Amino acid sequence: MCTIRCFEESVKRDFLNGEIPGFVHLYIGEEAIGTGICAALRDTDLIESTHRGHGHCIAKGADVNKMMAEIFGKKDGLCHGKGGSMHIADFSVGMLGANGVVGGGYNLATGAALANKMVLKNDTVSVVFFGDGASNRGTFHEAANVAAAWKLPVVFVNEMNCWASTTPYRTTTAVENISDRAKGYNMPGVIVDGQNVFEVYQAAVEAVARARRGEGPTFIEAKTYRIEGHFVGDPEHYRSKEETMEIFHRTDPLKLFKSQCPEGVVFEQEELDGILSAAREKIAKAKEYAVSCEYPDPSEYLTDVYAE
Amino acid sequence: MRKITFSEATREAMAEEMEKYPECFVMGEDIARQGGIFGQFKDLPKQFPGRVIDTPISETFIVGGGVGAALAGARPVVDMHFADFIGVCMDEVFNQMAKVRYMFGGQAKIPLVLRAPDGLAGGGAAQHSQSVESWFIHIPGIKVVAPSNPYDAKMVLKAAIECDDPVLYFENKVLYKETGEVPEKADEVPYQIGKARVEREGKDVTIVSYSIGMKNARAAADLLAKDGIEAEVVDLITLSPWDKETVINSVKKTHRLCLVSECVKQGGALAEVAAVVAEEALEYLDAPILRYGAPFTPIPFAPTLEKMYRVYPEDLVKGIKGVL
Amino acid sequence: MATELLMPKLGLTMTEGTIDEWKKKVGDSVQKGEILYSVATDKLTNDVEAEEDGVLLKIVVPEGETVPCKTLVGWLGAPGEAVPDGSVPAAASAPAAEAPAAAAPAAAAAAPVREAGAYVPATPYAKKLAKEKGFDLGQVPATGYKGVVVARDVLGFTPAAAAPAAPAVKASPLAAKVAADLGIDLSMVNAHGRVLAQDILAYLESSREKVADEPAREEVKPMSGMRKAIAKNMLASVQTSPTVTFNLGIDMSEMKRYREQLKAKEIKVSYTDLLVKFVAKALTEFPLLNCSVEDNKIIYKHYVNMGVAVALDNGLLVPNIQDADKKSLTEISAEVKELAKLAREGKLPPEKLRGGTFTITNLGMYGIESFTPIINQPEVAILGVNTMEDKVVVRNGEMVIRPIMNLSLTADHRVVDGSVAAQFLQRVKSLMENPALMLA
Repeated sequence: MCTIRCFEESVKRDFLNGEIPGFVHLYIGEEAIGTGICAALRDTDLIESTHRGHGHCIAKGADVNKMMAEIFGKKDGLCHGKGGSMHIADFSVGMLGANGVVGGGYNLATGAALANKMVLKNDTVSVVFFGDGASNRGTFHEAANVAAAWKLPVVFVNEMNCWASTTPYRTTTAVENISDRAKGYNMPGVIVDGQNVFEVYQAAVEAVARARRGEGPTFIEAKTYRIEGHFVGDPEHYRSKEETMEIFHRTDPLKLFKSQCPEGVVFEQEELDGILSAAREKIAKAKEYAVSCEYPDPSEYLTDVYAE
Repeated sequence: MRKITFSEATREAMAEEMEKYPECFVMGEDIARQGGIFGQFKDLPKQFPGRVIDTPISETFIVGGGVGAALAGARPVVDMHFADFIGVCMDEVFNQMAKVRYMFGGQAKIPLVLRAPDGLAGGGAAQHSQSVESWFIHIPGIKVVAPSNPYDAKMVLKAAIECDDPVLYFENKVLYKETGEVPEKADEVPYQIGKARVEREGKDVTIVSYSIGMKNARAAADLLAKDGIEAEVVDLITLSPWDKETVINSVKKTHRLCLVSECVKQGGALAEVAAVVAEEALEYLDAPILRYGAPFTPIPFAPTLEKMYRVYPEDLVKGIKGVL
Repeated sequence: MATELLMPKLGLTMTEGTIDEWKKKVGDSVQKGEILYSVATDKLTNDVEAEEDGVLLKIVVPEGETVPCKTLVGWLGAPGEAVPDGSVPAAASAPAAEAPAAAAPAAAAAAPVREAGAYVPATPYAKKLAKEKGFDLGQVPATGYKGVVVARDVLGFTPAAAAPAAPAVKASPLAAKVAADLGIDLSMVNAHGRVLAQDILAYLESSREKVADEPAREEVKPMSGMRKAIAKNMLASVQTSPTVTFNLGIDMSEMKRYREQLKAKEIKVSYTDLLVKFVAKALTEFPLLNCSVEDNKIIYKHYVNMGVAVALDNGLLVPNIQDADKKSLTEISAEVKELAKLAREGKLPPEKLRGGTFTITNLGMYGIESFTPIINQPEVAILGVNTMEDKVVVRNGEMVIRPIMNLSLTADHRVVDGSVAAQFLQRVKSLMENPALMLA
């Protein structure tokens, strides 16, 4: 969580300084979800991420140096500078990619689950992250239905952060909880506090175990709030900054962590501070690495279109 | 040599590839229990239990799921029922299937085949008769093939399945029933995606086509031969990436180019051929490039109207004679 | 396949047409929309456009000949294509596939001569070959589609320089140099034996004299189709109708006032428009001036289609305003303007030229005071309008100045006797001098 927070803060700073091209979408305040979910996964399990995907990528174990280099568009980045923030992937850790198309990941995760269960005959689990906005895509319906019908090992993780870009979810969505929709597919729908990494983790462990047992998909709705603008630079005229900051200070998962620890798990504040400063140092080095890397050779634009 | 239908040829290709690759499977609507609406998957479920999958009517899943399965390490073949329905899952085709390899810097390999039965089949009308290949030759990252005879149908499908890139395999509904010589497996010559074939040699005009359009190309060449005009007929087979060299070499020989396809002429797949020949071999042209294709209308239903939609060999003959 | 060119039927009543002029020669290439020939009818001349690209293969009906509508007048098709009577135009080659190279020389003789510097349509491949061989494309006769120079033309072309040389003209070295400097073709120079420098100077002198010749004193030019139609119609009119012309001056004071009032209300009308309106009203009261004569029968028209003569650069047309008696002044004004515009642009539909019942012809703008217009058959009368001038007239025993305009009415005495014509003209005068009567 600390690594994600520091990574995002660094990216925000560098983007505003004009060092990062394109757009970036930050995960600040939502760190507990990616962290809790990925903690329940094996390295070989697969995740489909979103345009707000740095947190998922880090949580799944991607190298932050190579991630940062990718976000800077460098040739040593995870995707050799071809993807950038919105299209970042690290197949070596089962991170099958962020997706620039909102709602683009469901079918990919479900298809991967189908292949693993029905064709390749292994017990790999797929996770797809998506926001409340993406839950209104038709692709959700097609994937959820297939996953449930064939009891595929998929975990649908809804990051219910209340905002679809600039549109509050209540103005476009009839259900109170996105997970209410799980019933329609005959799959369990679980609501967790997305600011509590332990609660998220617990739900993930259960969902992943169920998937591995061949009992099919689970829908986890993690309640959270999008603290940053839709993208860095979003003037956020559509909501009150004060309200957002009030929510952040009240629900910051990093601050709440100590109090949320289960019985018997005790962290000293110094220990926590140490973790945070280690993370800060790690990200500072990642940035240094990214800056030191070369941009891809212009001739590289032609490579990787086809495998053969 | 033995003769089999186009449909049987594709089935043989599927069976041989599924035998070869245990990770190869096929999914689509009505393919397992029914055997495909054109019988192209008949008997495969018995031979490969569990690997021929009937899906719900969920095109975005069929294609998106195929991409996901490929990412997971499978070698999927997905069937689109009618090519017309690709529109339903266009995002999965052009933002996912076509992009994941490039945008992830080559980490992904997508050995996926999307099979799409297309073309006029008599009364299919506007939403069940289209030839939509031209949409896809505009998309880098996918390959587009459209064989014109049973032997090619088999070899091109095998090549598509073996290819580690996503391939759109357009199979014409009318051609399914046509028979042709297909050698025994031992005598097969593998097809290399991207290669065209000079099917008939000639010196007066080059006729380029693919899929069902080849019927017009062949018939026109026969009619022209009666008047002593020798047409060279080139079957493009792969529309993207297409075999520029073979076409340009033929134009250098005949100095005239005639293009024919069943798809809408405006922005049709062969418009690219015309453009490239004009760009790279203009000085070899001794006549304007002729193009034949469907008019700029949706496909009508009534037989009298559908008749107007089609291209006939006589059209090509008239046009070619006009520029000789 | 070659396409038949048929005499068109331009409107309901046309039964035959005269080929006025072929705008293309046999062997010329034609693009869709280009004018192939013009057709003269008794009313006007129409251009006939090609419906498709091709080459004019054959002319069946020569210029000046009149044939019924739908008669075959010529053939359009691909170069070298045979027309159904079996003949192959001389200018075209045999089908390419058989002997392309051999066909070209035959075509050379009939190839159209191009103007120097004109763009030569040629295929890219023909251009490439010509460049390689060092040929001037403009010298290469075209046998391709749309008259384009194609590869076989270049391959079969023998440039003039390479042709068997004409017998060399013997000349002294000085003569040769002078000729070269002055750009004179030695073969044109008269000489006894060897050409000497003095022969060249003499040739130069004689050629200058030719340039100084006076221009021809007369010139013969064929009549245009419209001219022919006018000539025919005018002659027929004087041969048909015994005419009398009546002149009457009109005090235009009220008309002027009336026009000013309309103008103040943003309604701008011309005197011609006013005349159309007032004369139409008078015609409804004098049916004999609005009739026609056929086989000893008088055909009375219960409508007034008012013809208005429109002068063109090369002739004259008389479109008519249908049902002028039922139209408002503003409608008439708009229609007169539109018809005149169409007539000048040559876009007048033939039906606007038919069915007139009476004609007004205005020469007032040229200061004409009186004339004897010729009746536009089959009408029986025509009203000539003259200039409006301030004149001294006597009113109530006093001399006053009034704007006076003469009207010149020519009427066909077969049906219109003098008294009738005079009463009609009187009525027009009273209406125009008292516009309020229009309402009565």
